[in-house]
Order: sequence, then structure tokens, then C-alpha cells
Amino acid sequence: MKITRSTTLAALAALGLTLGTAACSSGTAAENDTAAAGTGGETVKMCVLVSDATSSEALGFKDYYTQYIQQNFDVEFVYSEELADADAEKRAMESFIANNCRAIISFASADRPAQIEMAESAGIYYSVATGTLTDEQYEMFKDYQYYVGAIGPSLDVELQAGYDMAKHFVDEGDTRFAIYGAGIPYYIDMHIYRTAGMLAALAEDPSTTYGGAKEFGDILGVIMRDGTIKVDQFASDVYELTGYQEVWDFDDSAWQANLAAVVSSKPDVILAAGTGFAVFGAAVSGTDIAIGDIDAYTDENAKAMEAGSLSYLAGKFTSSTGPIFAATLSAVQGHPIRGEGDTALALEQGYWVATSIDQFNEFLAADTIESPVYDQAALEPFIGTDVSYDDFAAFVSKYSFDELAG
Amino acid sequence: MRRVTGALAIPVTVFVVLTALCSINGASLFGTDDSLLLLTRGVATTMLTAMALAINLNSGRFDFSLGAMATLSSVIGATVAIQTGSGIVVMGGITVAVGVALGAFSGLVYVLLGISPMVCSLGITLLYEGVSFAITGGANVSFLLDGGLTSFSKSPAAMAAVIAVGLLVVVLLFDQSRFGYDYRALITGQGPAVAAGIREKRNAVAAYAISGGLMGAVGLILASQMGYIEAGKLNFGSIGIMFTAFLPMFVGGFIGRYSNDKLGYLLGALCTTLLGLAFAALHLTSTVQSITNALLLVGFLLFLSNEDKLARLWRRVARRDRHTTGHLPPASPDVPAQPIVRTGATAS
Repeated sequence: MKITRSTTLAALAALGLTLGTAACSSGTAAENDTAAAGTGGETVKMCVLVSDATSSEALGFKDYYTQYIQQNFDVEFVYSEELADADAEKRAMESFIANNCRAIISFASADRPAQIEMAESAGIYYSVATGTLTDEQYEMFKDYQYYVGAIGPSLDVELQAGYDMAKHFVDEGDTRFAIYGAGIPYYIDMHIYRTAGMLAALAEDPSTTYGGAKEFGDILGVIMRDGTIKVDQFASDVYELTGYQEVWDFDDSAWQANLAAVVSSKPDVILAAGTGFAVFGAAVSGTDIAIGDIDAYTDENAKAMEAGSLSYLAGKFTSSTGPIFAATLSAVQGHPIRGEGDTALALEQGYWVATSIDQFNEFLAADTIESPVYDQAALEPFIGTDVSYDDFAAFVSKYSFDELAG
Repeated sequence: MRRVTGALAIPVTVFVVLTALCSINGASLFGTDDSLLLLTRGVATTMLTAMALAINLNSGRFDFSLGAMATLSSVIGATVAIQTGSGIVVMGGITVAVGVALGAFSGLVYVLLGISPMVCSLGITLLYEGVSFAITGGANVSFLLDGGLTSFSKSPAAMAAVIAVGLLVVVLLFDQSRFGYDYRALITGQGPAVAAGIREKRNAVAAYAISGGLMGAVGLILASQMGYIEAGKLNFGSIGIMFTAFLPMFVGGFIGRYSNDKLGYLLGALCTTLLGLAFAALHLTSTVQSITNALLLVGFLLFLSNEDKLARLWRRVARRDRHTTGHLPPASPDVPAQPIVRTGATAS
């Protein structure tokens, strides 16, 4: 057969279409023949905004929704691409609205107020997973009809997680610290609060200050003002802040130089506000530098802890996003769970903390995609029923390992 | 002497200025244990990317798919190495070979479709990003704890070897081979070159393939250095890799007027890497770094676009000085003193 230009074009088009379909279908029900095997009602299309599409934590959350939840409830998940900024979030929201999503669950936090406003205008239920709004934002949006609410670590919990992690290493006798601030330059609240918590723990020493501040609120103010951590703002007779790194561009030579400078400064510990092992893992292997991280219970982090690179993990468990799903689906089905005065949910979840591989493996085994702690039986009582806010709040508040799986 | 001065003026100035800035601030440009590694690794990745970018840009073909080539080739190389338990040699061989194949495919699509190279490369970028995503399911390809695969980018000797081999291969291909002669003939006069029997489509595909091979090497270094590959980038998320090479490519193109353009890219990459080391030594925030880089790029492009005017202005000032000091004006019309052939990698 003579290969003409038309034949080539047709073959390329077919190849592109096939690969494009394969790439885009990963988060839909299309790959799941047994989807919508739940109560037999209408399949609800839920769209998910993600700012991180590749980390093991993000993939764990996604697997729970697309593999477990989708198989056990009448729901279809459509995921956004990785959203780098507020503008990308807005475009994804517009796409979801145009595609008849009945609800949106957001893991993206560059501009949550804009997301909530867009969802409210479009009459689409909207909820925040693995995070919460600030008090000011909650006051602004709590009465919105379509704002379901938020379930996740509050900013106070984030502060405490950072504080507890730094305190753990201080109690172990470490004095030389480096900090990985992750999304601080993008003003990601949870990373800022965690980092402020770390510095507040170090500032409990009388000689230690950051930017002249000793109290958490003042330290937070300095970070918010600068949009970064400045090593030369740290003063202490006891501790040393040997280096600081944050996210901007992994392929950038300056970023690489800064990463190497942090490792070369030979801290005892790198305190990471998130994804610490993923960023520093290769760089610290073969050194005595430990990593303390706030991330998730994943196989990758288990290997890191086994290898000794990771020595402290405050982690989310994979099915921790179950309750916000239940509340969102219930709202779509006409049974919203609302607080006193018909207000949106604002419920806290915390972290499971592991400091040894045995503890880590115990946590990891307790919550799997096949057998999550928030399984169908646990969630079903709160979906499609007129459950009270207090009952649901009590359910969510029991999130510790001992309460859920111990 | 003029050529040596012209070639070294920018790198030496950059080095002196940055060293002085660091000294003033009590820092050292090479203050860490890994300084040599950082220097060689930065120069290797930046030089290879700048050359890959310039190869097609010199021919008027803008290629957005370089980052996607680096990502996809390293995804395939790393996946094979992890699944077969083989080492960095296998990963490197596969990554570079796949890079060549991806580049050749990109070139074939361009010459077969005959559409604008910019549009074509945007489509190829989406295709390669989609394939990377499909292979990994959107997850990172991670080998953080595999010392064998991550050791390559931790060796200054390996990085120096990459620089030497990369430079040698490109010089041999573009300066010492029939392909290179044809390539330059097509750049300087496409019509006469084709009329003379040069097969421009074959040359274009080969240029794309070489560019892809260079990006395969870049992908290998980046993957080995981080211990993972972000394969979930869609919708042009991979383009950033290419943009890191713009400043060194323009600087290299300028330096190349006084020597060889390949040596220019090496020195341009050296300047950029030194700048990165200085940013880290001075603890500049990411915001300040981004603004500084942008200002340097815009400033250099402004210079390149207006250098004729600047040269005329300089000669006018010099003539006025000579008049005032009693010298006679030149007897001949002004002629640019530099017998320069510009490469395509300039602002023009």
C-alpha cells in the first residue's frame, strides 16, 4: 500500500485520539465497568479540582475516590488537570460548570473564595477537601446555599502539626535545622501555618526569635509579609537555621543550587511543610540528615522511613476524604447537612503521626483502597438521610487511628 | 585577540560581578561542598537544552516540544530500568535513543504535514505529554532510594563527560559532516541550497532527531538528579524546561560571533549557572530571582535588537572625542569593524 499524506494524517489522528482518550479517562467512570453499583439511583457527576496531580498523597486520594467510592456509590468522578494557579482554577471551574457537574470537591486552594462564588452562581454544590477556610472566609461564605463546607485539618491543626514536628526533634536533642516551606511563595495557607508552627516551637527557647518575633501570631505575620522564609531573620543562641528551600521550578539551576546549598549546610533535620521526602530524598541519601514531613501514608514514604531518610511523618490517611464526599453527595440528593443557623460545615480532622517504621506500617495496613477505614458502611448512614449536624460532627471528630482502626 | 576578548568578555564580566556581589554580602560563589557538581550539572543541562533549542530556531523552526521530549524519553528509560532492575547505563542508553526517536518523529510530522513548525510542535507537545501521562497513569516515576540510578547526576566527572561528549558530538555533526554543511547552506540560503540538490526535508528531520537526542540527555540528568520524574504534566506543563535555555542561548549566540556558536552555548550556560549559584549564595527569594532573570533576558534582547544603533552612537562619541583632541576624522565611511556572521539565535 502506498503511504500517502492522507494515510499518515489519518494514522496520526487516530494515534493522538487514542492516547488523548487514555490520558483523559483516568479519572472517569469509563474505566470502571462496575461503577454506579450503589443504591441504583441517578449517577451523580462530581468534579474534583486538584493542585497536585502526581504526588503519592494526591494519587492515594484519587484512587480512593475513583476505585473505591465510585464502585460503591452512584457517582462518577471527573478530575481536573494539575492546577498551578488561581487562573487555572477558574478555567477548570468554568469547564466543570459547562460539563454539568452536580458538585465540585476542591483540593486546590489558590483562590477558594473565587471557586465558592462561581459554584454558588452556577447552583453547583461545592466543598473543600483536606483543608478548611480561614475564619474570615468562613464568615463570608457560611450562609451560601451551595457551599457544603470543609472537612480537614484546620489552620490551627496545621500550626500544631508543624509545632509538634519541630518539638519532636528538639526533644531528641537536634539543634541544626533546615526548613522546606513548599508552597509558601504561593501563599498556601496550610504550608505557611505549618512553617510558622515549626518556628514557634524553636522560639520557645528564650534566645530564639524569627524576624524579632517569638509568638506564633507575630511569626505568622512576618512570614505573610515576606511571602517566604529568610534565613537571616532567624536568631538564636541554641539553634541554627542552616538553610531554606521552597517550591518554584525544579528544573531551574538556581533552585537546584539552593537545594544543594541546604543539604551542604548539614542540618540535623530538614523540617518539611509537605512533600519533603519527594523533594529532598535523593539529595539526602547517604547523609545523616533526617527528614520530618507532613504528608501522607503511602508506600513511598514507608520505604523512606524504612531506609532511615524519613524519621517523622504527620500524615493524612488515604480515605480521610470520605466524610466530605458523604456530605457533598447527601447535599446533591437533597439532604444537606447544615450547622446551627443553616450554616456550612467547618469540621476538623487531624493527622496520624508515625515516628517508627512499625507504627507507619500499622497505619498503612489499616487504611487501604480495598478496605478503607471510611468504607461504604461507615459513610452510607450520612448520605440521603436527614442526619443531624451534631451526629455528623461527632462522626468526623473521631478521626484518630485508635478511634477508627485501633 | 579581538576574538578571544569578544568570546570571554561576557563570562568573565559575569564571574567578576557575581564574585564581587557575593564577597560584598559575605558569601561565596562556590561556598558549598557540591559547588563543582552544581556547576558541571547546571552547565550540562543548560548547554544541551540551549543547543537543542538553537538547532531548530536557527532554521526558523520554533520547537515547543523539547521539554515533553525530555520528560517522555526519561519516563520510558526510567520505567524500563526500574522494571528490569538494570542500571543507569541501560536507562541512559534508552533515554537518549528514545529522545532521538521522538525528535525524528517530531521532524517527520513537521515535514509531512507542512504546517507551521510552531503549531506542529504545540501538537507534538500535547501528544508526548499525553503519552507520558498514559504510561504512568499521571503518577511520578520515582526511584528516590535507588542509589544506582541517582548516582549519575551526583558525579562531577560524569557531568563533565556529558558536557565534553555533547559538545564533541554537536561540533562533529554540525561543523565536520556533510549533514552540517547542508544544514548551514539551508540556513544561509534555502532556495539556492535546494536548487543545488540539498534535501532539506531529510536535513530537517535529522536536525529534529539530534535535538531530541540532546533533550533525552537532559531528561536523563534531570531524572537522575531528583530521583523522580513528574510525568503528570499536561496542557504544556513541560514547556518550562525549554524556557530555562533562552537567556543562555541568546548569550551563546552573541558569544558565538567571536568564536564557534557551540562554544558560545557552553559559555552562555556557564554564565547562567554562575547566576544560579549566586542567587543561592545570596539567599535571594524566588520572586527576586524570577524578576532578575526576566530583566536580564529582556535587557539582553534589547541590546541585541539595538546594537547597530548603539555602535553608531559609540562611533559618533568616539569621533567627537578624536576631534576635540586634535585627531583627523576617518577618511573612509563608517564600516562596522566586526566581520560578524550572526547566528539565528539572536534577537533579530
